[in-house]
Amino acid sequence: MIYRNIHKVVCLVTVLFIATPIAGHAEHAPAFDVATLPVPVDTDKAAYLESMKVMTLQDKKMIAWRYDRFLALKHNKDLWRDKENRAFLLTPREEFTLERNKPRAYDHAFLDIGHGVTISGPHLVMRMTSALDVQPSDKVLEIGTGSGYQSAILAHLSNHVHTVEIIEPLHKRTSELYKKLLAAGHAEYANVHLKSGDGYYGWEEKAPFNKIIVTCAIDHIPPPLLKQLAPGGVMVIPVGPPGKQTLLEVRKEVDAEGKITITRKDVYNGKKSVSFVPFTKQEGGTWSGRGLK
Amino acid sequence: MTRTSDHGTATPVADRWFFLLSVFLTAGTIIALQIIVIRLYSISGWAHFGSLVVSVAMFGFGLASAIMCLGNDFFNRHRDGIARIAFLVYGPLIVLGNVCAQQIQFNPIFLLADADQFWKLLFNFISYAVPFLVGALLLGIAFMTGSQRFQLTYASDMIGSGITGITCLVLMLVIPPEYLLLLPLLMWWGSALLWFAMSQDRRAVGMVSVSALVAVGLLFALPQISVSPYKGVSYAAKFPDSKRVYHAYGAHGLLEIYGSSYFHFAPGLSDMASLNMEELPTNTYLGMYIDSDGPIGIMKAIPPEQEIYYRFLPMHMPYLVQPKPDKVFIVQFGGGISTRVALAANAGQVTVAEGNPMILKAFADDEIRQFTGNILADPRLSIIPMDGQLFVRATEQKFKVIDLSLADSTGLSSPGGFAVTEKYIYTREAMAAYMRALEPGGVLAVTVWNKENPPKSTLRLFATMAEAGHQVAGKGAPNSFYVLHVPLSTTTVLYKQGGFTSEEITRLDAHCREMAFGVVYRPGERFQGDGVRMLTSYSRSILEEGNIDSPDSQVETPEDEGVDTSVSALYSLLLDRMMHREDMGLLKLYPFDIASLTDDRPYFSGYVSLDKLHHFVGRLEAISDEWGYLLLWFTLGQAAIAGLVLLSLPLIFSWRTIFSRQAGKFGILGYFFALGLGYILVEIALIGKFISVLGNAVISTGILITGMLISTGLGSLVSGYFLEQVKTVMPRIFMAIAVILGIYGIGLDHWLPATGSLEWRVGVCILLLFPLAFLMGFPFATGMSWLARLGKEHFFLWAWGINGMFSVMGAVLVPIVAVSVGLSANLYLAGALYLLAWPCLFALLRPHHV
Repeated sequence: MIYRNIHKVVCLVTVLFIATPIAGHAEHAPAFDVATLPVPVDTDKAAYLESMKVMTLQDKKMIAWRYDRFLALKHNKDLWRDKENRAFLLTPREEFTLERNKPRAYDHAFLDIGHGVTISGPHLVMRMTSALDVQPSDKVLEIGTGSGYQSAILAHLSNHVHTVEIIEPLHKRTSELYKKLLAAGHAEYANVHLKSGDGYYGWEEKAPFNKIIVTCAIDHIPPPLLKQLAPGGVMVIPVGPPGKQTLLEVRKEVDAEGKITITRKDVYNGKKSVSFVPFTKQEGGTWSGRGLK
Repeated sequence: MTRTSDHGTATPVADRWFFLLSVFLTAGTIIALQIIVIRLYSISGWAHFGSLVVSVAMFGFGLASAIMCLGNDFFNRHRDGIARIAFLVYGPLIVLGNVCAQQIQFNPIFLLADADQFWKLLFNFISYAVPFLVGALLLGIAFMTGSQRFQLTYASDMIGSGITGITCLVLMLVIPPEYLLLLPLLMWWGSALLWFAMSQDRRAVGMVSVSALVAVGLLFALPQISVSPYKGVSYAAKFPDSKRVYHAYGAHGLLEIYGSSYFHFAPGLSDMASLNMEELPTNTYLGMYIDSDGPIGIMKAIPPEQEIYYRFLPMHMPYLVQPKPDKVFIVQFGGGISTRVALAANAGQVTVAEGNPMILKAFADDEIRQFTGNILADPRLSIIPMDGQLFVRATEQKFKVIDLSLADSTGLSSPGGFAVTEKYIYTREAMAAYMRALEPGGVLAVTVWNKENPPKSTLRLFATMAEAGHQVAGKGAPNSFYVLHVPLSTTTVLYKQGGFTSEEITRLDAHCREMAFGVVYRPGERFQGDGVRMLTSYSRSILEEGNIDSPDSQVETPEDEGVDTSVSALYSLLLDRMMHREDMGLLKLYPFDIASLTDDRPYFSGYVSLDKLHHFVGRLEAISDEWGYLLLWFTLGQAAIAGLVLLSLPLIFSWRTIFSRQAGKFGILGYFFALGLGYILVEIALIGKFISVLGNAVISTGILITGMLISTGLGSLVSGYFLEQVKTVMPRIFMAIAVILGIYGIGLDHWLPATGSLEWRVGVCILLLFPLAFLMGFPFATGMSWLARLGKEHFFLWAWGINGMFSVMGAVLVPIVAVSVGLSANLYLAGALYLLAWPCLFALLRPHHV
């Protein structure tokens, strides 16, 4: 019932944007408004499968597996809000894995995607996404496009998703995948802007960003990214090797005197709701320092 | 039964020499293959997995022994034909086995996620097991042939293996890694020629020469190394502007340096750098890879106006207490970042140690020199080309600042922290040596990765430094430490000789505030909080609730309300107890083993005690940094099962025909079990011990293998003169071995020479090794000789298999025992095993029929 008219809308949007290069949209005029996304029924599996019938191109078996994983993610508190539930339930993760790994697309595991990189497990992707609390108007930057799954999830939450990939062939492959998915009716991916380059330097022309998500390993937080983070912005970085990553949340805040402070919080280990505490009294795994200017 | 009795040749004396030399070369081929496969694996994949593959492939020995024991008559009848086929195919199989394994690479990080990885791992095993099986068959045939004068045959085997070990190391200096397999090929060819010369089989000589040409052709035509796309160097090679600017190979590995604008390093860089610097340095690094692992950042000199950048690194901290120090010591040069920080802090004289000569050689290269502004030629630097911890333990010099930053610290960061390796640079003894080498008021700064959650290795470091501090400073220790960290980045421990003044603490605090570094220990401030409640709650959340990954698990359980279990709080609590040495029992409540590192137990591994392991079953990914250690247990279990199956095959199938009629079978089993296990325990444990004074695993392994096997070969040779007095001589030998092992277990740490030139240290190590290894050459040769004398031919091969099988298990057992108890424990265990062999020998000596 919910989807009665969605199919037509999706087709129309697809026709409108299929001929337009993905990266060519201006931020202020989103190619697609996430507010118009359907809300799949998630109360039980049968209802969900019924509601997803409109997604004719999606494999029914995969949709069923997705729901099973959805329940596990809910149980493990990897999904925090309805909007993240929706993003997960609408995104075909299987499209972002290698053909041979499709049967494992919804496993609690990271998977090989070639070029020496991996697609993170659904639990990590969704927890990082939940930690970011993306708003539709947020301008989001992802460093490390990889398979494209993370940006696809973000495309259900924000109208302005930017993503940078360092490995040129992988960038090309994922760009092609997005074009294919767009053509197949995933109009929301028109909001994803891809670029090939060194993510260390962010995407200066599009800065500042309200949310930044880094999905590649580095021994320090790239200063250019901290610069491109808007005041009040949040950056989320998983640290560690595949399978053993912990989640770091970095906030850039302006205090009453107009000074900028940067705080780090370990999302996994510390408490979820931590307010700013003075440096000398560390609590909840938060540290901060003040800018000199 | 000797070879000459089957085939009459012109000169029996020449024949005997041909035979012994052939055994020498066959044994050499096998050991060369082992060493080189591990070498190739460490470049293309992961060295410890290479060791695993080789140790499992060594089951070829067990299999060969089982087959030959079961088909003893058949093998006796067709010995020549089997030897001929085995010799013909051996060389090409060596090359093809390696090519296959290199092409089908498995990736350890996917072992839990991807079922295909197990098949790939199995394929790797089989690829190497086949050539090892053929090699073992050849050695088995040689042992059968030379059974009547076994001590000679065994001596050739040992000496051949020993000399090949050192030859491999020398060749690594001059031959590119991809062509190292030429050595086993050459040895195989030589061995085959000698074997066929004995029977004057010209046709076989021709055929094996053609086979050798084919093998060499395959070696050059097919890729012998395929680097995993998950190794660091593979990423560097993919950067669009990537360029390999330098490469060299040697005993320390394959060193490559890449240039690319995509390299960014700044370990522990303060987040505030971006807000406080107009412009950050760009394109300042080259990436250095050793055996495809890395990168280690090589930093170029940045313009003076940007030198403020160094202030934002944690390595700058000691210079806040000791500005412009006259003498600085950098424990490990690495890529040179710490050295740059010291120079930027206007240090008067900087002494820099680097144990890897290849790094120093690379920095002398024209292109690298140009990039780094020839940093090593800075007049303020003096270079010590040896392991920094060795230098400090021996030197009389004193320093104002000693810096140990991220040195050899893979085991301290999650990425790549899989292997169980000795880290003598971080032991309590080394830390005490650094502290004693400080001038009055001098500062030791140790910076390591801080990327684990839950923290483990950092806490071991804290415990180690606290213990060293108490040894050196006594009651002054609590005032001598200042500890800070950046969450999920780095942590730095500062130790000041004589303790920090309040003015210095204020200065450090202000800097940390400015940099957003979190202070977790400072003198004069005690942790206020309920430590028991905190650790109990934390331990439960890690062990029992199983929700280590859940972001809000620790706030939703009512009893945890108000309990802060953040990494910062844990550090503050545990550091407080460690530094003040109060309420130390509290440390036991921590869910992981965070005991200090000592020279006898120098490992950042084995955090999960066996009684807690069951908490992680089903979610092993939560402790993936322990996989290297757990893999050892897995391998041990696998080796035990496979070993038992292979050993029992002859028992099951030949029980009625052979074994039930033979006397002393369980004594034989016990004897060769004790020798196989005991010998390898000593060998591997001593390699671990020797690394502490020889500075690196490659040299230590080379010296050990060569020195030990040659000494054992000589012992075996001499044992032939005492065969008749076996019942009086051997008990004394067993006693002597056990006593020496006991003494070495207690005193070796004190006797190993930390000072002097490398040649001197190598010499002393060999002197310490010789008597022990010489005596250890007696039991195996004596036992085998007596089996042959008593006509227990089936047992002869079975015994050899038992020995080989328990050697494989022993190789795995050493690190397990070392991590759990200490390296010396292996020596005590080996001593006990040699004592066990004593009564077993008397069972072995019982005559054939009862």
